[in-house]
Amino acid sequence: MGELSPLFRNVFTDITGGIVDHQQMGRCARQELDFRDCMEGYGWDRGLVRCKHLLEDFQECQTNRKQFLRFVAMRRERDRKIACGELSKDRAYVSPRMDSY
Amino acid sequence: MSEACQIARKQDLPPPGGYKPIPYLRLPAKQYFSGYSVFGIYIGVTAVAAYLYNITAKRIQKNEIEMRSAKMAIYPMLLAERDREYLKQLRRNRDAEAELMRDVPGWEVGTYYGERVYKLVPPDTLVEPIFHEYYAHSSPTEWYRRAYHKFRC
Repeated sequence: MGELSPLFRNVFTDITGGIVDHQQMGRCARQELDFRDCMEGYGWDRGLVRCKHLLEDFQECQTNRKQFLRFVAMRRERDRKIACGELSKDRAYVSPRMDSY
Repeated sequence: MSEACQIARKQDLPPPGGYKPIPYLRLPAKQYFSGYSVFGIYIGVTAVAAYLYNITAKRIQKNEIEMRSAKMAIYPMLLAERDREYLKQLRRNRDAEAELMRDVPGWEVGTYYGERVYKLVPPDTLVEPIFHEYYAHSSPTEWYRRAYHKFRC
């Protein structure tokens, strides 16, 4: 689920618990709010099933997992092609300019 | 009897003419300037130096103002140029990805093996890439150099 709650909730963890969210100028504020609204409507167990699409978008915004996996796959394919000789020296890479990102 | 047995002995006598007088009075140091003139010289030199400093300071301030104004004036243009280059590079990345992953089964450009990155937005939304994705097709030298300049120094 990706929650930041402790393993065993008791009195002592409730005293000093911190609420961490993206709502203060976070990048994923919109996705998180949509997901939490949906969960609040359906409750925990049904919500995890019914709001799965919102959860996936929120998780992707937070962790950028799919974007990184895309990078890994493309890099591996490019290295394989260079090792097999399908990409020659000149066409091996497409490098951006220094200050553009 | 004592005159016959006079042996010439060396005696510690005072010098001829007697001792000179012993100096016991205090000897003060020689004063080249009096106290008032030292203050006056200090104030005079400080005044001249302050005048010269102010002339130079005004000139430097004018230069700084002009340099700042110039930087502020061209800053939006530089930002716009960077954004233009960024968008052009996104297009080049898309074309490079299309050509690279042509033979990979199940791959569609802009997705991860067919699975879109953000599913709840329209398909032609611009999904801004992360650093690794932007530099996915670049040579390692360029990539590490940019990472060094952006994150480390």
